[in-house]
Amino acid sequence: MTARGGPAPRTQLAPRWQHSLGDYVAAAEITRDGRLCVSASGVGTVCGVEVATGRELFRVQAHDGAVLGLSVSPDGARFATCGRGPGAKVWSAAGELLHELPGGASGWVEHVAWAPAGGRVAVAAGRSVRVWSAEGSLVTEVAPLASTASGLAWSADGSELAAACYGGVHFWPIAAGAAPRHLPWKGSLISLAWSPDGKVIACGSQDSSVHFWRLPAGRDSEMSGYPIKPRALAWDAESKLLATTGGVSVTLWDFRGKGPEGTRPIELEGHMGVCTRLAFSPRKGVLASGGQDAGVLLWEPRRGTRPTGFAFLEDDVTALVWHPEHRGLLGGDAAGNLTFWEAG
Amino acid sequence: MKKIPVTVLTGFLGSGKTTLLNRILTEQHGKRIAVIENEFGEIGIDHALVINADEEVFEMNNGCICCTVRGDLIRILGNLMKRRDKFDHILVETTGMADPGPVAQTFFVDDELRDLFALDGIVTLVDARHVHLHLDDSNECREQIAFADVLVLNKTDLVTAAELDALERRVRGMNSMARVLRAKDADVPIASVLDVGGFDLDRAVEAKPTFLTPEYPFEWAGTFELAEGVYELALDDGPDPEMGLLAAHLAGDELASSRACADRAMHVWSEGATSVAPSATVDVGAAQPASLVLAGDGTKRFFLRVRRAGRVGLYTEHLPSEFQLRLLRDGVPLQAVAEEAFAAGHTHDEQVTSVGIHREGTIDGDRLNAWVSKLLREKGGDIFRMKGILNIAGMANRYVFQGVHMLFDGREDRPWGATPRANDLVFIGRKLDREALTRGFEQCLS
Repeated sequence: MTARGGPAPRTQLAPRWQHSLGDYVAAAEITRDGRLCVSASGVGTVCGVEVATGRELFRVQAHDGAVLGLSVSPDGARFATCGRGPGAKVWSAAGELLHELPGGASGWVEHVAWAPAGGRVAVAAGRSVRVWSAEGSLVTEVAPLASTASGLAWSADGSELAAACYGGVHFWPIAAGAAPRHLPWKGSLISLAWSPDGKVIACGSQDSSVHFWRLPAGRDSEMSGYPIKPRALAWDAESKLLATTGGVSVTLWDFRGKGPEGTRPIELEGHMGVCTRLAFSPRKGVLASGGQDAGVLLWEPRRGTRPTGFAFLEDDVTALVWHPEHRGLLGGDAAGNLTFWEAG
Repeated sequence: MKKIPVTVLTGFLGSGKTTLLNRILTEQHGKRIAVIENEFGEIGIDHALVINADEEVFEMNNGCICCTVRGDLIRILGNLMKRRDKFDHILVETTGMADPGPVAQTFFVDDELRDLFALDGIVTLVDARHVHLHLDDSNECREQIAFADVLVLNKTDLVTAAELDALERRVRGMNSMARVLRAKDADVPIASVLDVGGFDLDRAVEAKPTFLTPEYPFEWAGTFELAEGVYELALDDGPDPEMGLLAAHLAGDELASSRACADRAMHVWSEGATSVAPSATVDVGAAQPASLVLAGDGTKRFFLRVRRAGRVGLYTEHLPSEFQLRLLRDGVPLQAVAEEAFAAGHTHDEQVTSVGIHREGTIDGDRLNAWVSKLLREKGGDIFRMKGILNIAGMANRYVFQGVHMLFDGREDRPWGATPRANDLVFIGRKLDREALTRGFEQCLS
């Protein structure tokens, strides 16, 4: 591995292991206990790797084309995948198919999201959103959205599900009798990130802006001026910093006090290509960013705007996920390489 | 990385899109093709990936028409790129009622798609037998024709040769930029639809003969050898109650259809016509064209006075065949020495038209910029496509440009070389004001 300029070599991340998924790393997750890494490829392969050693535990052909969504259950016993084809699939932690969850009429199932509690998994296919039990029975199906769901997320306590689409964000409380609601926005929302404290919903918008709503009131703000559409959003564990990227730089909005409205964001410059992936460590406020320059950079945005660590993959960075105890960072690229770096 | 070419297939239901798609997919071209379909078809070809999409047209928050995009394409094409082994070509088949504008714009507005894909061309299939049912009352049908780089007049075996000629003239009047192909069962050469370069500035203005032919306000020019005297012009009933006609003296062995003569005639034509009733006389060499009044049934007769013997050019607003126009001396019809039909630049009450402008001279870059900006701001919604090659002051090379609605893309191209420096541009749009556009452009001449 060679450094292509940038920060001093002493900050280069040390890989603990490397593994090949064989094709474009479309998604990757690590179980909450930090033991298992599940990754999925652009040609439908799903692979389980032991985080401690890098040893491959299983490899299955899950879908007939790119895996578009991957979500690991909170207890780490199962994971769900989706992609082209009629439905989502639920697998055991050993890679055995447990059951299939039929999607809607759409040929694509694009999003799966396991609820943080309560053993439910939400699946979005086109305009349809369904919630299933861990055992594979249908819990609820919401009224079809006005357009295809472009983002899906649960509130941190699992009491509410949100989906972004063209025209705004829809919310569905899971408790019986509670009414769903809609926060309208006249534009195409392309991603969704719910703050861990549940107080802010942030969405990337096709018109090169980031839109967010404060809950429960729904007061909204727009952060515009991105050179291209925002590709990634990430909240820090304290729900105070929202990292966004729509271009080569990373832009952070600070939600402390009255911000971020009327404040200048923190700008992190370091990538030499468009930054496409962001992941905040659950600990220590460390942010990882990955881009089309194949570079992975670490930042501590509260302390400074210089990268504190770096590493390179071989191709566009397509996945970044932290170990839940901050023991390391997993990265995947468009050529199918997976690397797990020590957190340092 | 080379961008993946994208072909958009449009056309009304029954125009033959699926047949053409099948031809493309089954032909041995060795390409890995992905097809995005908006209508549920029954295509399933081994070496092609067929994806059904829901047409989702997204307007951006700013309400600008040029930012109207197809959200389904952004998502699906983004997902298709998540693999190492990329596709060689993408085909997007739209619904019969789709507006091609947002489809085309998606490839220019979305930064991600712009980096990965190159819109190669819009191919519109036209059902030669039934299209007239839609041309007059369907905006979608007109827009599909207006946006096209290639127009395939399909099912030609179901219409007569005259009907087909009339249809071709009509669609050329709407879109003078497109290449027009005729087909029975969508049997056009695959290369003519898959490798068009319609949005490629390097190729945008090549291989399109009609693009560089200036448009005239007349559809036909005939050259006659006439002696001094009075001739008779006889016309039967035709599609219009009036027809413009100009008779001009030609020098030596000039042909009426030659560029120099036709340009001269166009100049006279722009003076505005005088109304001429049947039995009245039209002079060769008059300072204005005549507008022959053809109201009422039966054959109308006019006189043509030739004051000096020699070659005469006759220019007619519509084709002589549409009115059975004859030029007679003592009751005997005369043959033209030469004749030529032009693409209909002006068309009868057509909402969608092409306006072509050809002017010699040098363009002032600043004035051009100001004019184009204002034009697109005010009329961008009505201008579907435009293309041009310009001779800009201070530039050694040709300046080429193309645009879709308000999206404009222009740059310096290759040196002029042996080609004479001139300015050619074409607008295709709705309710275009030919005179205002021409005048506006002329003001950019330095």
